[in-house]
Amino acid sequence: MLQIHHLEPMHWAIAGATIAGVTLVLQAIGRRSLGLSSGLEDLCSLASDNPVFAHTAAEGRAWRLPFLAGLVLGGVASVALAGEWQALWRVEPLDSFANFSMPAKVTWLFIGGTCTGFGVRLACGCTSGHGIFGMSRLQPSSIKSTLAFMAVGTVFSNLMYRAVWG
Amino acid sequence: MTTLYLVLGAIFGFALSRSGAADFGTVQGMFLLQDFQLYGIIGVAVALTMPGLWWLKRGGHVLASKPSHPGNLVGGALFGIGWAMTGMCPGPIFVNLGEGKLYAIPVLAGALFGTWLYGRTRSRLAGPLQLPSMSEPAVPSETLPRQA
Repeated sequence: MLQIHHLEPMHWAIAGATIAGVTLVLQAIGRRSLGLSSGLEDLCSLASDNPVFAHTAAEGRAWRLPFLAGLVLGGVASVALAGEWQALWRVEPLDSFANFSMPAKVTWLFIGGTCTGFGVRLACGCTSGHGIFGMSRLQPSSIKSTLAFMAVGTVFSNLMYRAVWG
Repeated sequence: MTTLYLVLGAIFGFALSRSGAADFGTVQGMFLLQDFQLYGIIGVAVALTMPGLWWLKRGGHVLASKPSHPGNLVGGALFGIGWAMTGMCPGPIFVNLGEGKLYAIPVLAGALFGTWLYGRTRSRLAGPLQLPSMSEPAVPSETLPRQA
């Protein structure tokens, strides 16, 4: 069951087909390769003139930033169409397992976000660019990255939820 | 075209939201090997994108490749920890914000800080991790639409 309004999740085959459809339309019409984590660099490029971010900023402003805005809208629509839109702070199973104080929870999420931001840019891609687009092309860099994040995430979650907090 | 990208993003975000790809518990279910949902989603997405891209390439699309380097593994491993800690990969951070999940705010702040840190340290990491040169254009011209 999903956290939002306790909805039953959409079937995985329909969700997978939708993701493939968007990826292919993006390539067929826009000639853009799906990859969302570069969008984090595009956001940084709005406030920093670091050449690392400037390198891809023009492409980012052309399509990734509008696409990221669409992701936010998609989230709003998903909740609003299922019932009332409301702010959520509770997150399960993290809250009941970790029993964090408020500052500890914010710190945990911030550090996790930092690992994600640094990691995806060092890897040159995330679940979308490597996991879906790159894996679909059997690109070696994508196979390596995807195996790395799936394996390490699996080990880390099992360590925390079964050994440390379990 | 901006509208097209906005609409594609909204469809993508809606699917991530309703399928559990942006749901903390579903992501942990994947990592704890208790829930097939996300393996099914990624598997079907790859299985359908693969023939689609093959067909587009036959029709003349040139796709830019991402070179292989040790940063793929090191960065991928760090991202694995980040994804397991926060229950969201980069796309779902934005979906979660739209859904009203306030706990995505510190995650986004961290992700931007991590990206900024990468930008600051890239030149020092480029040697040991054999990162690709930035002298090439970000989007190779042959991948863009041919001029009529």
